[in-house]
Amino acid sequence: MSSNRKLRALALALMALAATLVLAACGDDDGVGGGTDDEVPVAQGGTASGEVLISNWPGYVDPGANGTIAEFEQQSGVQTEYKEDVNDNVVFFNKLKPQLDQGDSGGRSLFVVTDWMAKRMYDLGYLQEINHADLPTVFENILPQFEESTTDPERKFSIPWQGGQTGIFVDTTEAPEIESVSDLFDPKYKGKVTMLTEMRDTVTLILQSEGINPDEATKEDWLAAIDKLREARDSGQIRRFTGNEYTEDLTSGNIVAAIGWSGDSSLIGREGVEWRRPTDGCDLFFDQAVIPIGAPNTAAALEFLNFAYTPENAADITEYVQYVTPVEGVQEILAQRDPKLANDPLIFPSEAEIADCSEDPDPPGSAEEVAEVDEAFQEVVSG
Amino acid sequence: MKKSARSAAALRRRLVPYVLLAPGAIWLTLFFVIPMYFMAEMSLRSGVPNTPEGFTFSWEFSNYAEALAGRGEQILRTFYYAGTATIIALLIAYPLAYAIALKVNPRWRLPLLFAVIAPFFTTYLIRTIAWETILYDESPIVDVLKVLTLVPENGRVLDTGGAVIAGLTYNFLPFMVLPIYASLERVDTSLIEAGKDLYASARQTFLRVTLPLTMPGVVAGVLLTFIPAYGDYINAEFLGGANNTMIGNKIQSTYLEESNYPEAAALSFLMMAAVVIVVLVYIRLAGTEAFVGSEDEA
Amino acid sequence: MESATATARASITATPSRAWSWLRRNALSIYAGLAVAYVLIPIAVIAVFSFADASANRDRLVFAINDGFTLKYWESAFSVPDLNNAMLTSIELAAVTTTIATAIGTLMAIALVRYRYFGRKTSNLLIILPMATPEIVIGAALLSMFLIYTVPLGFTSLLLAHVMFSISFVVVVVRSRLIGFDRSIEDAAADLGATPVETFRYVTLPLLAPAVIAGALLAFALSIDDFIISDFNHGTLETFPLYVFGAHLRGVPVQVNVLATMLFTLTVIAIILVLWQQRRADRMVAVRPEQEV
Repeated sequence: MSSNRKLRALALALMALAATLVLAACGDDDGVGGGTDDEVPVAQGGTASGEVLISNWPGYVDPGANGTIAEFEQQSGVQTEYKEDVNDNVVFFNKLKPQLDQGDSGGRSLFVVTDWMAKRMYDLGYLQEINHADLPTVFENILPQFEESTTDPERKFSIPWQGGQTGIFVDTTEAPEIESVSDLFDPKYKGKVTMLTEMRDTVTLILQSEGINPDEATKEDWLAAIDKLREARDSGQIRRFTGNEYTEDLTSGNIVAAIGWSGDSSLIGREGVEWRRPTDGCDLFFDQAVIPIGAPNTAAALEFLNFAYTPENAADITEYVQYVTPVEGVQEILAQRDPKLANDPLIFPSEAEIADCSEDPDPPGSAEEVAEVDEAFQEVVSG
Repeated sequence: MKKSARSAAALRRRLVPYVLLAPGAIWLTLFFVIPMYFMAEMSLRSGVPNTPEGFTFSWEFSNYAEALAGRGEQILRTFYYAGTATIIALLIAYPLAYAIALKVNPRWRLPLLFAVIAPFFTTYLIRTIAWETILYDESPIVDVLKVLTLVPENGRVLDTGGAVIAGLTYNFLPFMVLPIYASLERVDTSLIEAGKDLYASARQTFLRVTLPLTMPGVVAGVLLTFIPAYGDYINAEFLGGANNTMIGNKIQSTYLEESNYPEAAALSFLMMAAVVIVVLVYIRLAGTEAFVGSEDEA
Repeated sequence: MESATATARASITATPSRAWSWLRRNALSIYAGLAVAYVLIPIAVIAVFSFADASANRDRLVFAINDGFTLKYWESAFSVPDLNNAMLTSIELAAVTTTIATAIGTLMAIALVRYRYFGRKTSNLLIILPMATPEIVIGAALLSMFLIYTVPLGFTSLLLAHVMFSISFVVVVVRSRLIGFDRSIEDAAADLGATPVETFRYVTLPLLAPAVIAGALLAFALSIDDFIISDFNHGTLETFPLYVFGAHLRGVPVQVNVLATMLFTLTVIAIILVLWQQRRADRMVAVRPEQEV
């Protein structure tokens, strides 16, 4: 019986080994977790019909039966499914990445991510290029300052959706004197401050508050700023790092100040909380609509962009969302509907105001060095 | 004729365990073991995150060392949170299970049991968010706690380690109650009676009769509570502050924020190893019979 | 006369100690009541906040009830299509998962406890490992495999994942009851001429039922609850927790609380019905005259 057992054990081990080898042979051995090196496809235009799936950030389009999506459906006849499942650039990226590696976009024809993420996706071969000829309305109405961008100079793969500034929210009833990012490190507010989990927002502002231009900062500068952040965390200065949830902390009075995004004011249900542009820094972000590889019905996606760039529709969107619009003519339209909005410098910033703002820059250096900075930051944010 | 029928029956009998086991074993192999193989393979790859080349296999054992670097404090913290939550859960659950199984009117047993499990049917996230709602700084409950001086006047409950532990305890309480209840329920009450007849005090009866009889349930409950609590990151994310992160948070961020799959995979395996060690030690202490049971059953 | 006063005096001094002994006798039951109340606190909070008026906050949940109460979210409970779909998906998924996982798990538990066979230690390990693995690892590992073998991401992939992690829990729960199970009852049945299958069906299984039900409940709850593993393997199919997590970042619609309260209430009602049915069945069995076996 014993030798029988040993024989069986040996058989089992051999089977396991054989299975392992078979699996190893089946699997894709090189470049897992990387991108694709294939030639970049160009999105097909044409008449829009059928169905389309769009992913976007929550609260980034005016909803309801009179909303932009419903109107688009009526006008174009395209059945539009609109998902608000982009809650965080990196989370969305990682969720979709394995599918994008296989050339599958999960059924999405269009989604919206922040400019630096759009660039990363493009570099990894996950996006299709866009033919300007397919987007007549877009390029007719796009504001001149958005015709190019640092991340996509020729607008090959990204079309601006909405954007804004990263700054500080302050509870003016509790801490009206907070005006700069440096103020957030004041021990007077220990445990009453939150910062963003978005590295390109938080660290950029810290660099600026130290007098360093983030577009010219060295890797050491970034790491030093992250060290400062770590100290603040260890001492309990920073209560927690958040995505959009800082709006809850502000609403419930858990904190008196937070680094946050300019258009989120409407999400804060507490009187006296206002967004301020820090006196020692300025950071812009702009979210981009992109067409992924494997996108079905790209014609409909392109048509949707054209639709969204019609000044009337763009005004609808901006009126609800209250972020910066890339479309010309919106300010005039809103001047009729709601003059307060039309004069809001957060929604319609002047050239001068945003001239020396950074635009969510990447850390400098090779991919490896960027990963090093990213890792250091993540270590602070999630232990 | 009789002989072949008997040996046919004997063969069938020997096959029975395999037949019973087969569906589960196949399912677990296909959807647990094999993916683990892929994860193990991933942990030995090297490369830079977010580059077109991706990660290639290269027996990169240094991933494990790198994954472990600087994690010491967080690992200890995780053990502390999960361990404390488990102990508190045990202290809460055992008397509760005892009351339901042995004290209350039998017709109330199942209803009470379901009352304990019912919160599960509102989903984990909502329950945790509810606690976030209950424990925010200006909530009346926190005010009451301050009056009772359980919380310092200028302190807070939310975004602290205490809140994380409270969340873990609450969320995994049913995991502790159910197994203990299951084993309490089949305790032969006549044994407890016998203890009383032999002049044992209630306490002695409990310690010498009831508790040992219910050890399998206790062991199961402890493990079912500790292990998921150890790997959890939701409670830390919703209820904890910047300094209350657990290993699960680190794995989540290494995977989903940094996209550093090999290091995330390595850290995950290390985490698994730590838990398996703890479990094995615990089983050794509690006695293999208590958990694996039945060497004498078959 | 003396004895009367003595009795009277004794009864007066006895009253506080009688109250005290009542307290001691029922301490455990009182404790149980308190513990159950504690368990239900968040449910109460969820229910209460489903009536909170959040119009000032884009109908998103607020932390404090400043604007009073309203029934409007109950009236429009199903007006958030994404939420409805997510909830239906979760329930469907949990139901199917529970059925499969409970069956598989119970069979496994029986094999593990009652039989000696080759590979027993290995199968023991196989049960423990999924429980010792962080959900995030399971989720990510599963996804990699699903993609390489092009399993469609959606209900199928979620089902495969959910059953997988539920099996172990069912096994552990059923096993803890099987250990030390009084076999003599089964022996008696065998002596009375029952085949193994009959014994299992009419003797073992009913006695095992509480543990099996507990296991099934656990599987259902785990499936509805699951977030992390689902997050990796759901493609574009949203379950209830996935919806809530996404919505939470920008404010959860109050209808989420409404639906959660509904789900809870319906579950409670379903359980009450099941219990009532069982009690009726028990009573009927008690009344029925003894039958020939």
